[in-house]
Amino acid sequence: MRSQSGLVTGVLFSVVTVYAISFATLSEKLHGTVVAGLLWVALLFSSSASLPRIFLAEEEQGTAELLRMVGRPHAVFWGKSLFNCLQSVVTGILLCVLYLGFTSKSVTVPWLLAVCLIAGCLSLAGAVTLCGAIASQASNRAVLSAAIAVPLLLPLVSLGVSGVRVALGDGAASEGNGAAIGLIGYACATLATGPWIFAAVWKS
Amino acid sequence: MLKVDRLGKKYGGRWIFRELSFELNTGDRLVILGRNGAGKSTLLRTIAGLTARTEGSVELPEGDSRLTISLCALEQSLYGQLTVAEHLQLTADLRGCPARIDELLLKVNLEYARSKPTSQLSTGMKARLKLAMAIQSNPKALFLDEPGAGLDEEGHILIDQITEEQAERGCLIVATNDPLERRLANLELQLV
Repeated sequence: MRSQSGLVTGVLFSVVTVYAISFATLSEKLHGTVVAGLLWVALLFSSSASLPRIFLAEEEQGTAELLRMVGRPHAVFWGKSLFNCLQSVVTGILLCVLYLGFTSKSVTVPWLLAVCLIAGCLSLAGAVTLCGAIASQASNRAVLSAAIAVPLLLPLVSLGVSGVRVALGDGAASEGNGAAIGLIGYACATLATGPWIFAAVWKS
Repeated sequence: MLKVDRLGKKYGGRWIFRELSFELNTGDRLVILGRNGAGKSTLLRTIAGLTARTEGSVELPEGDSRLTISLCALEQSLYGQLTVAEHLQLTADLRGCPARIDELLLKVNLEYARSKPTSQLSTGMKARLKLAMAIQSNPKALFLDEPGAGLDEEGHILIDQITEEQAERGCLIVATNDPLERRLANLELQLV
């Protein structure tokens, strides 16, 4: 945690992504749907680049055994997840502010954007942490992690894009509300079931 | 206190050990001997529940395993950014037992390094810290994997002292390929 390498990776990735998208769309007027889609792509890749490392690093540096010996799986999962949630929300807010600033896109429903962003980042952190935890002990971690992540993240990204595009002025309000509720439910479900799934694989 | 019944472990189609049975009571100190690769460390980890067993059963001392059993191993890693005292605080917080930082550092003669990050410690100092972490919860069963490796003469005396104290509290299993460490035990198991 003290090395803060995950946070630095996430922030750097966000800055580079925002710069690249802004540069590529300099003379374009972007629709809310396109902006929402690109924002979620950036959020997804920023999270995938840094968050699963939290468990892989324990295995790679050989400290996982110490944790297994002295820690309860639930306590370990919650500790790691809370750190990832905090990192994800900080990176997500920074990414969103930079992105909307550079693309000059106005926000029509600010509360919806805030809810979708925070719930989306918490969901991302929960799902990606869990994938990292499950895959951390496998010999082909990268492949396994990606294989688990795809079905978990597809509905999340769909909900996230739906909510953010309504917040940016594209689509019906009811669609945005449904997406926000879906994201909150996703975050709760991931963080509530995560410790139990993690406990089942932690010592096996 | 600790019962191992027909324990077996298979890796990639090869049995590392099989049909191992023994029982340890308070005061028993078992040393596991064998050549490199005989499976001593794997046996310790299997008994401690850190590696899945292929067959057989292990009965550990009753209670929360975070407090009743402890493993100190040469290859166990530490967090390079955390200091010596922070390691003891972390393991105490995770176990839910008193940290006893001053007492343990005095015991393993590491008070002078309490604020040093473990990345700056020598191999012997790391071994002492791992010993302190292992005895922090006064475990009923203590497992030591190559305990003398990296330690100086004073360190070997410390190991003798810890094994004596452990025998009064519960049982001890030492995995080693150093024949001199037979002195730590009153029971022997040879892996072939």
